[in-house]
Amino acid sequence: MKALCWEGVRKLAVRDVPEPTIRAAGDIIVKVRASSVCGSDLHLINGYLPAMREGDILGHEFMGEVVETGPDVRRIKIGDRVVVGSVVACGACWYCRTEQYSLCDNSNPQPVFSEKLWGHAPAGILGYSHAAGGYSGSHAEYIRVPFGDVGAFTVPEGCRTTRWCSPPTPCRPAGWGPTSAA
Amino acid sequence: MTSSGMRWVLGGAATVTALGVGRMVARRRRRHQPDREGGWYVVHRGITVNRPRDAVIGFWTGQERLDRGLAEWATLERLDDNRWRCVASDPAGGGTEWRAELTVDGPGRLSWRVTEGPVAERGRVELVPAPQGRGTEIRAELRWRSGRVRQLLGLASRHDPDLALRSALRRIKSLIETGQVLDTRHDPSGRSPKQEQATDRIRERLTVGGRP
Repeated sequence: MKALCWEGVRKLAVRDVPEPTIRAAGDIIVKVRASSVCGSDLHLINGYLPAMREGDILGHEFMGEVVETGPDVRRIKIGDRVVVGSVVACGACWYCRTEQYSLCDNSNPQPVFSEKLWGHAPAGILGYSHAAGGYSGSHAEYIRVPFGDVGAFTVPEGCRTTRWCSPPTPCRPAGWGPTSAA
Repeated sequence: MTSSGMRWVLGGAATVTALGVGRMVARRRRRHQPDREGGWYVVHRGITVNRPRDAVIGFWTGQERLDRGLAEWATLERLDDNRWRCVASDPAGGGTEWRAELTVDGPGRLSWRVTEGPVAERGRVELVPAPQGRGTEIRAELRWRSGRVRQLLGLASRHDPDLALRSALRRIKSLIETGQVLDTRHDPSGRSPKQEQATDRIRERLTVGGRP
């Protein structure tokens, strides 16, 4: 598949990369329909955030169609149109259960670096450098979303794709969650 | 100032700088080394799991979950009511193998010792209710015996029992709370195989917080 990769400070390139696969039971694979550019993408591109590596795929504000789900995914179905929060949250740790999703204990596979840098590791973030877990981003044809039941939200019928991907996408699930629960 | 005087000043400044940098490096090394007790390296690590103590104990008694958790790197064989034999291999695929004997010392208390392996190791784990109803603290103590040369070689070959313990605790917490452990190693990227190898080394550095 094609993906937009970070090649160095202020250097980007479209590369052919392998397609993502289900690696954990709660993963979903999303075919990206729209992916927007966040202001913090510019920080990554310009080298202001540490721990970017050559070949990292950028992008964390996106929506698309679910094409594959892991065996433990219950709420999200193949074919759903979803908007996905950029912060990866497990939904089960103390932080997630007290709705502090950006501090999730279980979604950053390499937390020690950011613990030393900031005192506490943040949650993993899609397409947001190796300090935030080293996840591949959404400026690609497909993306793996861990804990899909927690981080992906189904878009209602009749809503245009581009409308739901308008920045900032992370605010959509943040607002949609409480609104739909009310 | 004469050129000879200037040489002395520069030499003195260089000596003072070298001494200062050397002391700083030595202090950082000392701070990163584990404690020593009677020839054993000793570390204490802990992690809080957001589940009651009985649920944490229950996780280990469910054979299906246990097999799933250990599938990649270890097998367990029950010897009697309180003793188990564990055969574990290096998760990084280095071909190293350990055999250990685990003993359940009481409710929420477990100890183990390595019977065959590259490094003599023993340790114990205690489960304690966390304050303010925040779940259960897993408190672990690990001891390993290793000479200074071997310790240095061990660090150079990326085998560090302390790191293995920290990684295992994080893995256990994630398994108990979510039933899965995430990994992003070798996720899709535009890296060449050589760049991927370099990234792996940097990931290891990130895991150890920059420690050599």
